[in-house]
Amino acid sequence: MNGHLRLERLSLRYASQQDPALDGVDLEVPAGSSVAILGPSGSGKSTLLRLAAGLEQPTAGSVVLDGIDLAGTAAEHRGMAMVFQRPLLFPHLDVLDNVAFADRIRGVPRRVARRRAAEFLDLVQLPGFGRRSARSLSGGQEQRVALARALAAEPRVLLLDEPFSALDSGLREEMYELVDELRLRLSPTVLLVTHDHREADALGDTVAVLDGGRLLQTGPMRRLYTRPASLAVSRLLGGRNEITGEMRAGWHHSALGAVRVAAPTADGPGVLVVRQEAVRLTASDDAGADARGTVVRVRRRGPRALVTVEICGPGAGSPALLTAEPGPGQVLSVGRAVGLRLPADELAVVTAEPASAARAADAVGSAEDGQR
Amino acid sequence: MTARVRRLAGVLGVTALAGWFLLPLVPLLLWGVADRWSAPAVLPQEWGLSGWADATAQGAGPAFARSSALGAVVAVLATPLGALAGRALASGHLPGRAVIGAVLLSPLVVPPFVVAMGFDVLLLRLGLPAEAGVVLLLTVAALPYTTYVMRTAYGAYDTGFDDEARTLGASPRQVLRRVQVPLLAPSLAAAAFLAFLVGWSDYVVTLLVGGGRLVTVPLLVASAASAVGNEAQVAALSLLTVLPPVVLLASIAVIGRRARQVLP
Repeated sequence: MNGHLRLERLSLRYASQQDPALDGVDLEVPAGSSVAILGPSGSGKSTLLRLAAGLEQPTAGSVVLDGIDLAGTAAEHRGMAMVFQRPLLFPHLDVLDNVAFADRIRGVPRRVARRRAAEFLDLVQLPGFGRRSARSLSGGQEQRVALARALAAEPRVLLLDEPFSALDSGLREEMYELVDELRLRLSPTVLLVTHDHREADALGDTVAVLDGGRLLQTGPMRRLYTRPASLAVSRLLGGRNEITGEMRAGWHHSALGAVRVAAPTADGPGVLVVRQEAVRLTASDDAGADARGTVVRVRRRGPRALVTVEICGPGAGSPALLTAEPGPGQVLSVGRAVGLRLPADELAVVTAEPASAARAADAVGSAEDGQR
Repeated sequence: MTARVRRLAGVLGVTALAGWFLLPLVPLLLWGVADRWSAPAVLPQEWGLSGWADATAQGAGPAFARSSALGAVVAVLATPLGALAGRALASGHLPGRAVIGAVLLSPLVVPPFVVAMGFDVLLLRLGLPAEAGVVLLLTVAALPYTTYVMRTAYGAYDTGFDDEARTLGASPRQVLRRVQVPLLAPSLAAAAFLAFLVGWSDYVVTLLVGGGRLVTVPLLVASAASAVGNEAQVAALSLLTVLPPVVLLASIAVIGRRARQVLP
């Protein structure tokens, strides 16, 4: 049940709107892999899924499944089952018949379809729930049934449209584990969209960042975190640190002072971005510190905290602010002097924005060319 | 304390309302089993079923069948048409939605008498059978009700169900049969009930366009009521008129409750 999905220059423009909803999206979803599309609301990510599913038609470009262009193939013949954010369990059917829906549509006898449906309910860890009414379930259970129903359709690509955003965090973790398990057992091809970079990381092998209808960067999440191609990507991934300065021969010069950047970067003005999780706070007399500063703000975020440090660099320029996210063991109060270590291989320098999405996309291309 | 007062007021209100509707039925029910019931007496002096016998002699049986058939045909025609119109009006893609909506509701404001008179002439010219004319006209008269009910139903309908069914492999036809119709069943039943009532209870159109040849229960009631001294027969015919709507209403309530058991 796994197909190879390819989106080629996929575009959609509504007559009533000036900007296209999707603009030339190229995306590869290899068989058995999971690709997460990460984007804010209104970025066109749900539209992308609807185009793939055939629920809407693109104005240009194509959806290719196992080498076959699906233009003109109706949604019901595409073999792409979708799970939406709302579970959308058919209220007139019980849980078992919901899961058996796709088989019944295909003309599979009721008894056979129900037996198979029961197997899929076992698979999503809801054994014995078959005869319950769809409305008697909790939110997490509903979404499990929706997942079982989609899997029972044996789709060549499983489409997930923010399927777990409505669940609370504990349930979400359970669903991530369930999806991991399902992927191990069935290895379906999965294309999912989400606005949450943690969810994209949890569910996707590869993540594609979408904003304003364009893909900004595609790659493994680790790489996106440490080497965002643009400020937009860094921000969408929750990055908090942006220090303007200038690259000269592998060093970034700014209010922080000179910081070594491991990634090959062209000389010239550039913004240094570093994940708050990568910034290490040490003692103020730490000899290996890359910069020193004073804690000006502490915000509690559960076991971790967001600590903002003000750094007065060597020059007389305005001070720089850096945010670090130390673990629960490190108690810091406002006014404390600290040293900061910035690991060279977790730093990236991107062009100063705003830059249209086009320029950002070009930057992605050239950065990747540089890597090869 | 206030909660109790409020509940009491609610119970009183419902009782008063039920009384308002049910009280007129009491003398009707009594007349239905009375042979003689003169003015000052509180209860009938002679009990019997002569009213029913008279009504049967007047052709109440065939009239009942004709009325039922008329109501059923109007419901069968006006419900799917109303569903189509309601869906189009609720979809938001229809240009000139307000105008079309107003046209569809216009039979409510134009008196049926006017339409019937004009239509009668047209029917004669076209050579259409009178029965077909009655059905046609009553279907048009029923459309505002079915359209309104179905527009509301489609307005509240989540098209996500259709999308989900499509990606699971259902053709548009299968989506309609296996998802939309079952989910909209309570509204479809309500629309069909209203359409049935239009056909069942019509007098003016049946009389004018039918030309007196299509004798339905309302026509019998009217002719019996215009004469003096046969209150028992009128009561019997009137009870006959009330029966089918009550039975239908009860079955719709059952459909609705069954739907609510699974819907939130």
